[in-house]
This record gives sequence, C-alpha cells and structure tokens, in this order.
Amino acid sequence: MPIEILTYLGSRFLLDGAVLAIEIAAVSMVFGLALALGLALMRLSRHATLSGPAWCYIWFIRGTPLLLQLVFIYDVLPAVGIKLDTFATAVIGFSLNEAAFSAEIIRGGILSVNRSQIIAAAALGMSGPLTFRRIILPQAMRVILPGIANQAISMIKSTSIASVILVNELTFRAEQIVGQNFKFFTVFTAAALIYLAMTSCVAVGQIAAERRFDFLREPGEDRLVRLAAKLGLGGREKQIEAPQPVVPRPESLPALINDICQDIAVTNAGPVVVCRNVQKSYGDRQVLNSIDLTVNRGEVVVIMGPSGSGKSTLLRMINHLEPLDWGEITVDGRHVGYRRMPGGGLLPTGNIARARADARIGMVFQHLNLFEHLSALENLAEAPIRVYRQPPDRAREIGLRLLAGVGLREHVNHLPHHLSGGQQQRVAIARALAVSPRVILFDEPTSALDPELVGEVLGVIRGLAEAGMTMIIVTHEVRFAREVADRIVFMDAGIVVEEGPPAKLLDHPVQDRTRRFLRMVGHKEHIAAA
Amino acid sequence: MRSFIFAAAKILAGGAFAASAAWAAEKCEPGALAGKYPSLAGKTIRVAQDPQGGPPYSFRDPENFDNIIGLDADTVRAAFDCIGVPFEFKTGSWSGLLPAVIAGQADVMWSNLYYTPARAEQVDFVTYRLAATRGIVRKGNPKNVHALEDACGVRAAAGLGTVEEAMFRGISEKCVAAGKPALEIVTYPDRPTGIRMLLNDRADLMMGDSGGGAYTVKLYPNDLESGYVILTDYKVGPGISKSMPELRQAVFDVMQILQADGTEKQLMVKYDVDPELQRPAAIFTK
Repeated sequence: MPIEILTYLGSRFLLDGAVLAIEIAAVSMVFGLALALGLALMRLSRHATLSGPAWCYIWFIRGTPLLLQLVFIYDVLPAVGIKLDTFATAVIGFSLNEAAFSAEIIRGGILSVNRSQIIAAAALGMSGPLTFRRIILPQAMRVILPGIANQAISMIKSTSIASVILVNELTFRAEQIVGQNFKFFTVFTAAALIYLAMTSCVAVGQIAAERRFDFLREPGEDRLVRLAAKLGLGGREKQIEAPQPVVPRPESLPALINDICQDIAVTNAGPVVVCRNVQKSYGDRQVLNSIDLTVNRGEVVVIMGPSGSGKSTLLRMINHLEPLDWGEITVDGRHVGYRRMPGGGLLPTGNIARARADARIGMVFQHLNLFEHLSALENLAEAPIRVYRQPPDRAREIGLRLLAGVGLREHVNHLPHHLSGGQQQRVAIARALAVSPRVILFDEPTSALDPELVGEVLGVIRGLAEAGMTMIIVTHEVRFAREVADRIVFMDAGIVVEEGPPAKLLDHPVQDRTRRFLRMVGHKEHIAAA
Repeated sequence: MRSFIFAAAKILAGGAFAASAAWAAEKCEPGALAGKYPSLAGKTIRVAQDPQGGPPYSFRDPENFDNIIGLDADTVRAAFDCIGVPFEFKTGSWSGLLPAVIAGQADVMWSNLYYTPARAEQVDFVTYRLAATRGIVRKGNPKNVHALEDACGVRAAAGLGTVEEAMFRGISEKCVAAGKPALEIVTYPDRPTGIRMLLNDRADLMMGDSGGGAYTVKLYPNDLESGYVILTDYKVGPGISKSMPELRQAVFDVMQILQADGTEKQLMVKYDVDPELQRPAAIFTK
C-alpha cells in the first residue's frame, strides 16, 4: 500500500494537476493582492465615492459563492461577447475573490497601526505615499501576514472547485483515477500529500515573512525561526546581524547643533514664527480665538495653560498638521502650505508635505511616537534620506553623532520598545534635530514620562537652548520653564491671557486666571521638589 | 383526424426526422469534409467529457492516465475520424459540461447525456442508444432484491437528483400503499461513494447506470452481484451546440455509418454495454 501511494505521488498525471493548481493560485494571489491593496485604501478613504464602491464590491464578492462566480465568468460572459479560456477564467475568478477577502485583512492591518505614527511622519514632511510605504505598511505587515498566508493556503486547495469550468487540476484528476480503479484510499492519500507539500511551502514562507516583519519579536527567541534562517529561508535579522557601527565620541550638544544646523543660523535675522489672528474651531467649539504670537530667532518660548486651552492645536497649526480657519502663520517669513490669493486670503497649496519639509520645523510629541519598526538610528535617518535626499552615509553619520550627543551611544541599533520612555524621547529630539530645523516645537515632551525620567529629557532641551535653537515648548514644568524660557505665554480658552519673561509671569502675574493656574501647578511643583 | 394531423405535424417540426438524411452518407469520407460540411473545415471540435464517472463510458486509461477511453470516448474517436475533423477533449465535472456547450466554450457534450426536452431547448441531440439502469447488491443478495418491486424496506442508494432516485421514491410510495415498509433512500454525489456505501453495509441496494453497474460487479466479483436490470426509455447521445447545425448533421450521418458497419456494436461489447440497447440514430432539436 505505501509503495502504491508513492507511485501515485510520482504520477506525472497528478503532478501536472498540482502544477496547474499552483500556477492558478500564484497568479491569482499576485493580482488579487494588488487589487486588495487598492480596495483597502479605497475603503479607508473619507470620500464616499471611493469607500462606497469598494464596500459594495467586497459585499458582493464575499457574499456570493466562488463556484457560481466561476460559472458566470465562464458560461455567461460569452453571451456578451467575452469568451475566456479556463485558465484565464480561474485566475480572474480567484483574483476577484482574493481581492475582496484580502482587502479586509489589509485594512485591518492598516487600522492596527497607531495614528501617532502617521502624525509623526507628517511632521517630518513625509508625503502620504511615502508614509504608507515606509511606515504604515511595514508595521501593518505583522497583522496582515497570518491572514494572507491563510488565504494563500486555502486558495491552493480551493482551486479544486474549478473543475466545473473544465480546469483539470489535482483533485479532479485524483477523482478521475478513483472513478476508474476505485482505489480511493491510496489515490486520495497521494493527492492529500501533494497538497500538503504545496501548502507547506506557503507555511514556511509565512515563517520567513513574519520573521522579516515582526519588529516586536525578541531577537533569536524562536527556534523554528532560527532553523529557517539556517536553511537560508529567512530575511535579515535586524538586531543580531546589523553591524555595530563605530559611534563617535559624544560631542557637546551645543557644538554639535551649531555644526549641523549652521546653514539655518545665517539666514535672515527676522522672527522665525509669526502668528497673526489665528482662529480655529472644531464644529461649534472655538479652540483658538485670535492668537497673535511672534517667536524670534534663538528665542525659547514656553506656552502654559490648562488642558483644552488650545496649546497643542496652535503647535500643530504652525507646521500645518491642522489647517487654519482664519489668520496666518509664517515660518521664516513664508507660509507653510498656503499661498496668498489675489483678494488677500490664504489657499492651501497642493503639496503640503513638501511645504512642511521645506519649512524645516522639528516636532517632539507628548506620546512617544518614534517609528516602532525602525531602530533609533533608522528613525533619525528616515526623513533626511527619504525626504531631503541626503546621501545615506551622510545621514547616518549625522544620526550617530546626534544619538551620541543625546547620550544614547549604546542604543543606536535598538528598536524603540527596547528603550525607556526617557531614552525614546531623547531619540525623538535627535530625530527632530536631524533635519536641521529652524525651530523645534515640543508638545508636552515630559508629561507621559515617569517622574525619574523627566530630568534626562529636560537636560537635552536645556542643551538645545544653550546652542541657541529656536523653540516653542508646551509644558507644565514650572521650574523648567523658569530656567529655560526667554518668555512664557499663558493661554486659556483659546486666547493668550498674558505673556512675559519668566520672572514677571511666574512671580507677578497680572491676570487672575494666570494666578489660579500657577497656584495649581505650583503646588505640584513643590510636591515634585519634595 | 384533426388531432392526428396536428400530432404528426408536431413530430415533423420538432421531433425525430431521422430518415430525412439517411441517404447522405454511407461510408466514411474524411477527405470530403470541406465539401460535405464546409463550416467544420479547419476547425478542431471541442468535446466536453467527464472522465470522473468511471467506466464504461469515459475514464482514464489505467496504462496511461493521459488517455481517456470508454464507450463514449472511443465513439467520439471513431466518429470524428470518420467525419475527418480533428477534435480535443475538454474535461470537467459533469455538471459543468452542458453549461460550457451552451456558452460556446465547447462544441459538443458527449458524456453519457440523456435526452430530455428541457435539455433540447439548449442543445441539439443526436441519440443512438437507450439507457438502462441496474440494481446491484452485496454478494449472495441477502435482501433478495431481484426486481425493483422487491426493494420495500431496504436501504436503497442512488445518485442525487438522478432518475434512479425518482424511481426509488415512486416504488416507495407503492410499497406503503401495499402495506409494506417504505424504502430507506440515501443519495450519493458520485458513483465511487455509492459503491463504498454498499461495500461498507451502509446500503443494501445501489441503483445506477447499467453499464457502470456491470463494470462495478466485475471489479468486485467476491463482494457484489447484479440484482436486476431495467430498460428505461431514456435516449442517450451527444448534446451539440445549436450554433453548429452542420456538426449536428455530421454526427447524425456518422452515427448511421458506425451503426451500419457494426463499429458501434463492437464498442458496446468491448465495454460490457448490452448491444441490444442500440437504437437508430435520431436528431432532436427540442
């Protein structure tokens, strides 16, 4: 009996059927996934003209049996003059089906990527397509891959239903042999083993692909993965195989910044950021109500104020992460992603990503939104290489110096989740510096950190201030503000309540609202000091 | 009288006009293809066939699985050799074959197809033999089933949606009316499954195509035997695309030749199909 099974295993008649199944599945998978990616993006679109048709497509294809779709394509379309052969019919039918199911898997993967990653990429001047390719898709792959592997395996097996459109594949061939000699056990066992061999290839490919994309996996934790690597099936092993670069001696941060950002220092001497009559509403709620703010070159401005006072919104409007409702903002004398219309109003330009990049505005967020799938050094080099077209070697060299400068010499190849919150925030500052910014915006850079980690981050910001970097910092750290700020702006309910040097605003506030706020945070400051 | 004329007109219009072209061809003239059937010249006829049902009609040659043999397959070969037109087999599962011909994906389905008026709405038929059905039982016929009427109370297996299933349902009602136990009817999707049911004592009686049943009994001489054979009035023959009237005519002509020179009868004997089932070739277009 086993010998008989082996005979059928080697039967060219059956193997030809297997090759046909593989060909149909492989071609359909390629077309299906390409279509699925498009459908997933359409489904995610805010425009109903895109998401609606995609939803209808998926609804219809998923909701009708594949068998009937195949019969329809093969036997009904000829009535309208489209006559496709069996292979083309099978490929089209399976591709259309694959697209519907995989679109939802891909959409799920994309949705699983934290939104903060997208905002961080936008702040670096990365365009939508670049962000999708470099940031979203690599992270989404972790979630997408298992589902896609399932789809590939089930497609190889379900090619058997194509016998109804005269595709002579493996199962149908096995049934023909059984129909003739009734040796169903041996023939079907052989066919099953051939299927198992084919699907095993997909399963092994899945291991290799998952290993390539699972950035959260601890290095070398998976024995099966190591075996696959030995067999030469794996991709690169980022943490183990990446050569430890020669990290330069740490330079003093101010000297380093003056070196890297020197092209900025010599441009015009006017104010860096000017906000005039800036207004913003979300629905009925007015968030910013006529804000005027000027930040001069080398000035450190701290913005304080209670939650919901519009501080973060103002920062996001400076680099056009949020559109203006009214008023204008210039950075180094130019609008970011707006052009003036003949009547005097502002109109958004087409390429906001390019405008953000040209404005060179660094941004550090409250939540630690480093790119999770990239090492510290890759986080730094991404925008200089991809957005500013710096030579990769140069970008990496600057990246290494910056990481050394913020005290992370030992961690250049570490992924963000292997770093503490404070270390991550220092990488984020270095990432902002890597594009040699004209100004850096900090949105509560320490409020998500454990208290003992706050100091190391503030220390780095202090270093930037010494170097003469222009900065706007939203923070509740009163002591830090007193020490580092040239000027403090107090905001509440969408307006600037009062502003002035730290000594004046913190110790002798004029406005009642300022005093109340300072009493509250001052209380905390004392607790923190104690 | 009037109704007689009406009935005669009906037969002439839609039914069998077998005699009309009998003189047209008396021997094979493959070289005369272009003259006799100009629309077939230069064509390769696509013959839809299901080699999965097993012997005797269409099945894989155990010596070489790439070959399809059987009564239908060999008749196709003899017929198109005689007509002088090349052909190719397009294989698929049985239920997909007729739709393929209707859609123009194949030219003719030649795979143990029974003529029915409903099918003739979609394809033209050239019939040349009758179908018979056979009941097979386990060796020794433990339930004593020697005719369909003996089946009261037994576990009876038939293919899903086949005429045999309908026959079981009919006889079951008769059993009940006569005060006997009803049949326990089970259906199977393909013949090998039905045979497994019989061999594994999940059914006592299996009824299906007579030729297939005879072959099965020959394959399991120690386990199975024939219970009874019933001649049906189902006519069997290829279903031909309605867009190819010359192909229909060619097949009709050639079947007359193959019947006249005894080729078809020889093939029936070769594949254990009762030669008495042969009937004069006839065309049905509705």
